[in-house]
Amino acid sequence: MGSAIQKFYLRNGTALATFLILAVGFWVLMMIILPQLYMVDFSFRHNLPPAEIGGPKDTLTTEHYEFMVYGSAQAEGEYNTVTLKVFGRTLLAALFVTLFDLALCYPIAYYLAQSAKGGWARLMVLSLIVPFWVNEILRAFAFRILFGSGGVINGALISIGILDQPIDFIREDVALYAGLGYAYILLMIFPLYNAIESLDRNQIEAVRDMGASWIRIHRRVVIPFAKPGISSGCTMVFMLSAGALAAPQILGGPSSLWFTQIIYQWFQSGNNWNRGSAFGLVLLVSTLLFVLLMMKVFKVKLGEIAR
Amino acid sequence: MSADVQLEDVWIRFGDFVAARDVNIHIEESKFFSFLGPSGCGKTTLLRAVSGFLEPSQGVVKIGGKDMAGIGPNKRPTALIFQNLALFPLMTVWENISFSLEVQGIGAAARRKKADELLDLIALPGQGDKMCHELSGGQRQRVAIARALAAQPDVLLLDEPLSALDLKLRQHMRTELRAIQQRVGITFIYITHDQGEALTMSDSVAVMSAGVIEQLADGNTIYDHPESAFVASFVGTNNLLKGKVSSVDDQYASVDCQGMGPIRARRGVKSGAKALKAGDACFIFVRPEAIAFADGGDFDNTIQADLNSEEFEGHFWHVALDVPGSDQSLKMSLINEGRSLEHAPGSKANIGFSADAAVALAEGPLAAE
Amino acid sequence: MKSDTIIKVSTLSFVVIFFLYLFGPLIVMSLTAFNSSAFPRVSPWECFTAEWFNVLINDKTLVEGIKNSLIIGAGVVLLAVPTGLAGALMLTQINQRVRPWYYTIVISPILIPGVVLGISTLVFWDRMGRMFGFGYQSIFYDGIFLTIIGQSTFIAAYSMLVFISRLQRFDNAQEEAALDLGATHVQTFRKVLLPFLKPAIGSAAVLAFLASFENYNTTIFTIVSQSTLTTVLASKVRYGINPSISALAVAIVVLTLFGAALLEIVKRKEQREEKAAEAAAAAATKGDTSQAAVKRTSVLAEPAMYILVLVFIAGLGTTYFAGTMGVNECKAEVKAEKKRKVEAAVHERQQKDMFRNAAPTFKSGTTTGGARKKLDAKGTEGYQSIFAPKNLEEQSGTKTEKPKEKTKAKGTEGYQSIFAPKNLKKQSGSD
Repeated sequence: MGSAIQKFYLRNGTALATFLILAVGFWVLMMIILPQLYMVDFSFRHNLPPAEIGGPKDTLTTEHYEFMVYGSAQAEGEYNTVTLKVFGRTLLAALFVTLFDLALCYPIAYYLAQSAKGGWARLMVLSLIVPFWVNEILRAFAFRILFGSGGVINGALISIGILDQPIDFIREDVALYAGLGYAYILLMIFPLYNAIESLDRNQIEAVRDMGASWIRIHRRVVIPFAKPGISSGCTMVFMLSAGALAAPQILGGPSSLWFTQIIYQWFQSGNNWNRGSAFGLVLLVSTLLFVLLMMKVFKVKLGEIAR
Repeated sequence: MSADVQLEDVWIRFGDFVAARDVNIHIEESKFFSFLGPSGCGKTTLLRAVSGFLEPSQGVVKIGGKDMAGIGPNKRPTALIFQNLALFPLMTVWENISFSLEVQGIGAAARRKKADELLDLIALPGQGDKMCHELSGGQRQRVAIARALAAQPDVLLLDEPLSALDLKLRQHMRTELRAIQQRVGITFIYITHDQGEALTMSDSVAVMSAGVIEQLADGNTIYDHPESAFVASFVGTNNLLKGKVSSVDDQYASVDCQGMGPIRARRGVKSGAKALKAGDACFIFVRPEAIAFADGGDFDNTIQADLNSEEFEGHFWHVALDVPGSDQSLKMSLINEGRSLEHAPGSKANIGFSADAAVALAEGPLAAE
Repeated sequence: MKSDTIIKVSTLSFVVIFFLYLFGPLIVMSLTAFNSSAFPRVSPWECFTAEWFNVLINDKTLVEGIKNSLIIGAGVVLLAVPTGLAGALMLTQINQRVRPWYYTIVISPILIPGVVLGISTLVFWDRMGRMFGFGYQSIFYDGIFLTIIGQSTFIAAYSMLVFISRLQRFDNAQEEAALDLGATHVQTFRKVLLPFLKPAIGSAAVLAFLASFENYNTTIFTIVSQSTLTTVLASKVRYGINPSISALAVAIVVLTLFGAALLEIVKRKEQREEKAAEAAAAAATKGDTSQAAVKRTSVLAEPAMYILVLVFIAGLGTTYFAGTMGVNECKAEVKAEKKRKVEAAVHERQQKDMFRNAAPTFKSGTTTGGARKKLDAKGTEGYQSIFAPKNLEEQSGTKTEKPKEKTKAKGTEGYQSIFAPKNLKKQSGSD
């Protein structure tokens, strides 16, 4: 170990070597590892006022995790159905958004990668990127305008005559799903595009010549080849949807509370940072589990996912 | 200023792999010295040990009599020209050339002047403001040389610098490099796998194989008096005859070769190795140009062979023959004298060569085809 | 072949629908920025105005948020870019066996949900603050400091990726050449490696700034009692919507389009210079050394730049003038129009009710007809209750109708129940 450090200093010179060690050390230790570890520890402690922290009352406890499952002692029912329901629904909804984006973006990515020609393709790529330079809050806001009761879609549908009354898209969660699906299109398209683009056109031509239908071509040739791209895109969209906060806050109706909003409430109004940390940890673990599951199912390595 | 280089008992190991084995050589100052060998023989490793990017596992590297242990590449009086040149793509030609002066803190005006002088030396006057990728391969080559020379090294190290160039340019650069070396007068250490380059340019050549220096001598000696089977087979084309020594005398050996009768050849000398004696299996090497048709002439060795094919290559006729009664074959090179050969493929011919033209050496590994 | 055309047509229509989905919301939002109506809408269109941009500029909380976002962005660039560079350099030098672990740890912030990063940063530095005995005024609780740290955690990973990809194209021999020519390590880094990394530093800095500027999930936790543009926007969007937000969106879109055009111009210029350099090399190979060095000119000298700047200024000017000219007249007109519509509807109602009073049978059809009429005439919702037969005489002036309209406008859901035939009798009874 000592000689390795010596060699390191020799190779880089004193100034640079010191900078590298300090910068990376601070980053890895003080910004990545320690805060996470501390959050884990914090989630297992009672919610104490600052004066009592470190004192005799500061013991380890699983009360916050128990609360998530069983609810408080005063509540009716055996389980904390509200929180558990929200948690389950968040994950399911994130899954739904992921699949929706996959179905939406796959044809576009395929078209871009295989069929579109040079300049036209570049223009399309550019036009894909432009909407995402607009802040996610503003994008959610745009959907709010579109889907609100006095909004454009309702107005248009009513004036055409399809509707008599405005549909409350917000209450029906349509606005939220449309908004979430919209938010992560870019993250789904580009991994797919990169994966499909590297597929040799000749392979597809050859299979076509053999008389295969388009469905078969996609199922047996394109999709297996694009697996890393698919898993990469799905992973990112799922993680970002499950962890989304702005869109649910802006577009969510009363019935579509998001798990992240509960976490936020515990910090903001609930004033129980320990509980919020516990819930945050639950979110982290469940999303990581999902990523690992994806990697196993699709047999993909971590490095390929991280873009 | 120029310096000599001394490698004493140098071993270089990478884990279990031995890249250089017990190397002991002295490279004289102001001479053009080449390391010649196939890829992977360790010549690049030795070069990096001399330039300071590598410390030998054992042994001493001395430049100008001074032990270089622990001295980094930026403090050694050497300059290295890389195989891919490693010119700085974001600097102009003159900035590249004067880089070694820039790191010494010399001002821009003085640097520009020196760069222009060197540009004249390498025959690229006025090209200083161009970027390197605007130049041709040969021009970039010369810029790399100028950049190295600007550092005023005592020893200039060149790592297969001509391998990326085409044939004509390579031949032109051979002469140029030799001329520059003689003009500037510093020690050149040159690495190549092309023995034509090594022979034409160098004062001394070290032939290397698998980390071992097989022979160190000037070009003529290496060519005419190889000391091992590897050297004999690697340098130039050589005919190989296998046989067993039947008798020896002071300078010559008589060898029984299958299908040919006794062949008389010089006994190859290798310092530190046992001399050939009767009963040893050995290799006999004869150069193609040393063999001639034996009609009428008086030769120490004559062989009757079947003429296989004749190829005309402009300067030479290359003739391939098979020796009946054995699986050995011979190649002959005859100077084109403006008329066709009198022997046709498929006929029998007598060929001969003198004993001095052949050398008998102990069996050993040969150069790969 | 027919199936081929079907596929082609369906693909193209899919693409079209997709781009509608992609651009639709943004186009609509941009349009609402110029409509003088108080709630962002496109139809009905009241007046073309640029006044919402004015409101935008004068909004103090928004300006405060922008200021903080800029400060944080700068801080993040200064922290995350060098850290990312250090991470990338370290990766190239680290032991083969340790490398996958190192890489996983360093990439992990990208995979961790933003809220979790925010929480862990907040909680950890709170602990640090307590450990050193600092109070709430100290830096450990300062929103700006915490946000810079929290955001840099994952933004450094992004910039590290940028540097890794750039470093892969670096020829290590250059570093050795510099050393061999006598440079110290510091000089090698400064004169050879850093110039090579310059474009990567630029893109990493831009990336870092943009990522920081638009971040919400992490920031909302770490910003504590202060605000950034995103947090201000979020609270505005949830609690007080008006088209100044659309105006902000338009401003951002225009700025980014401008930036994109700028980038394109720079890229084209570089491509042209590359081609010239290649041509020079090819000519040199053929022995022609007479070519002059390729000129590298500044971007500002490009003719395209002038055109771009002109277009930008022209657009700004036109919008300003068009938006401020005659707005007040237009608004007055709109008001008058509304008044007329209301009066006309009132008159019509009066007629209808007179008929109804005359003919007692009540057709259920009128309910839906009435309901539809109500939504057609914007702002006339809720008249039924006011114009129940009993209240005809007590009809108040149209002016007081307006406030009622507004409150009713928000809650148009559920009107069906009020206008069910059954409830009409009840309605007339109440009031």
